[in-house]
Amino acid sequence: MPIGTPLTELLGIRHPILLAPMDVISGAQLTAAVSAAGGLGILGGGYGDKAWLEQEIRRLEGHSGAPFGVGFITWSLAKRPELLDIALRARPRAFMLSFGDPAPFAPRIKDAGALLICQVQSEDMARQALDAGADILIAQGAEAGGHGASRTTVDIVPAIVDLVAGRAPVVAAGGIADGRGLAAMLMLGASGVLMGTRFYASREADGAEEAKRRICAARSGSTVRGILFDLSRNNVWPAPFTGRCLINDHARRWIGRELEMLQNVNEVAAEYAAAKAAGNFDIAAVIAGEAVGLIHDIAPAAELVERIATEAEQIMMGRRNSATASDIPNR
Amino acid sequence: MWPDHRLLNLFKIENPIVLAPMAGVMDAELAIAVAQGGGLASLPCAMLSVEKAREQVNTIRQRAAAPVNMNFFCHTAVEADAVSEGGWKRRLASYYSEFGLDPAAPVTAANRAPFDAAMCALVEELKPEVVSFHFGLPEAALLARLKAAGCTVLASATIVREAIWLEQHGADVIIAQGAEAGGHRGMFLTDRLAEQPGLFALLPQVVDAVKLPVIAAGGIADGRGIAAAFALGAAGVQLGSAYLRCPESKVIAPARVVLAAAGDDTTVITNVMTGRPARGVANRVIREVGPISSDAPAFPHAATALTPLKVAAEKLGRVDFTNLWAGQAIGLGREMPAAELTRVLAAEALARLGQLAG
Repeated sequence: MPIGTPLTELLGIRHPILLAPMDVISGAQLTAAVSAAGGLGILGGGYGDKAWLEQEIRRLEGHSGAPFGVGFITWSLAKRPELLDIALRARPRAFMLSFGDPAPFAPRIKDAGALLICQVQSEDMARQALDAGADILIAQGAEAGGHGASRTTVDIVPAIVDLVAGRAPVVAAGGIADGRGLAAMLMLGASGVLMGTRFYASREADGAEEAKRRICAARSGSTVRGILFDLSRNNVWPAPFTGRCLINDHARRWIGRELEMLQNVNEVAAEYAAAKAAGNFDIAAVIAGEAVGLIHDIAPAAELVERIATEAEQIMMGRRNSATASDIPNR
Repeated sequence: MWPDHRLLNLFKIENPIVLAPMAGVMDAELAIAVAQGGGLASLPCAMLSVEKAREQVNTIRQRAAAPVNMNFFCHTAVEADAVSEGGWKRRLASYYSEFGLDPAAPVTAANRAPFDAAMCALVEELKPEVVSFHFGLPEAALLARLKAAGCTVLASATIVREAIWLEQHGADVIIAQGAEAGGHRGMFLTDRLAEQPGLFALLPQVVDAVKLPVIAAGGIADGRGIAAAFALGAAGVQLGSAYLRCPESKVIAPARVVLAAAGDDTTVITNVMTGRPARGVANRVIREVGPISSDAPAFPHAATALTPLKVAAEKLGRVDFTNLWAGQAIGLGREMPAAELTRVLAAEALARLGQLAG
């Protein structure tokens, strides 16, 4: 029996599993696939690229009609506020904002009839989101791939659950890639999970095949959180946000030498841009979280949703011992 | 009912909750109370003499009919280096003058010795049910003697590679120590702090990588966290910060005030206090000199020059130089007798596990 929570009820979805709106990676295909499987796909609007957004929204329109969401990086959306209207015209069930003050956008989102999802990394951000009228909060731990902050999932999730005190469902993000993680987050008091890296390694994700292969091959401890990849692409993020990526040659070369990198930033940026264009992931970042060590296959997104939901259900029904629970094909 | 009985059977305890051995802030009193609550009594021995350790174990045994876990460090000892100690003294010189202390006065060297033959002989004499190690495992000959004495051996891993190494080198149970944990990072095959995973990412990956039972440590201080750890495959949990504010701990009064006020975002990982990275609430010297300083001498020698400052400041009721080791869960700590707290934690976890199963 599917796990019903306040989140599934509010969103009208079957499984408490949300797709992280990964910039460029969570395109229409992956969003639609996760939604069709009973989770909530959230289109990765990212920094905000109008042509890409219009194209992906057109692609979404041809799909199942299952509810979906659209997500943006808040501080970046503030520079291109017109993208909000384009996204809202597609009638998403929910609109997700991460990294910045949601208040300026909240009224238009709610007026359009969409639920407001806010991702937070601290109690202060959670209060700000609730004040802005957030309907759902994502509590993101430092294990997460991509941008985030310093407190880990086991710490931030119950902290936000306690602060919200039932006013909105809280979704856990960061370090979760299987049914054990979903079950664990429900026990911590979350209403569901948001997963990025796990869905990156899916058939439908719009990432390079080489990047997906690297995620599958990566073992525990092969990611690092920091600012070196942002520095490498001249992409200045506001504090306190840093980014987590796989450790590659570029990371090994510059970890702990960020100041020196800044002194040579033009040279590094040129080298980085060329590598990115060429799909050279020894230099270009593969954005991924600490759960990479749990990811061993590139599967269809629907299969992943089903696998994770089923595993969590069995653990919670006491029909399965987590110590031997993994569905890892090559275990 | 607990979903996993391996530790209960192995240790013959009622609740799969291990008291984290916290050298410097606890003794037999806290261990006894946790044992009375059905958890595993741990005694940190790294800063104790053989005589003192013997006395403490005997005290626990007189007052609790329960297994005992003797905990040791097993770092590679490094001789104090006059040059780096001199540099550290100079770095701290302004504090010495502020407190009117003579930097040239002799100081007793920091007393965190690795597990050695003398302690091994004590373990053979006392035969504790459990022996646990931080920073790896002792040399094979000593480990073999512990096994011959019938001890179950626990050791901490901070990355999957360390867990596999511990399994291959004779540990019986792995403690997966997430980045949230208070006190010293158990890391011994890596020195890269930025790559230390959070518990909930580390735990299932360790569970998948080894066949041994895995104890979850770091960031857990309530029933929700315990239940979540079991969902991720843990066979038990180890809690430290949760117990710091119990009346049985030896945390000094001014430090209690600081810990009671600490939120979960107030801890940092620092090498300033001992020379090895450890998580705690930032005191004045950590804030002003660290949290990471290349001037800090190798473990445990950074602590030597801090000792006179710690003593002087504590006389004034200040914790400017006092270790305030605590994990990210410090904000969840409760001021409650430790036996009662252990039972409450177990009941909360069982209720949550049961509630979700129903």
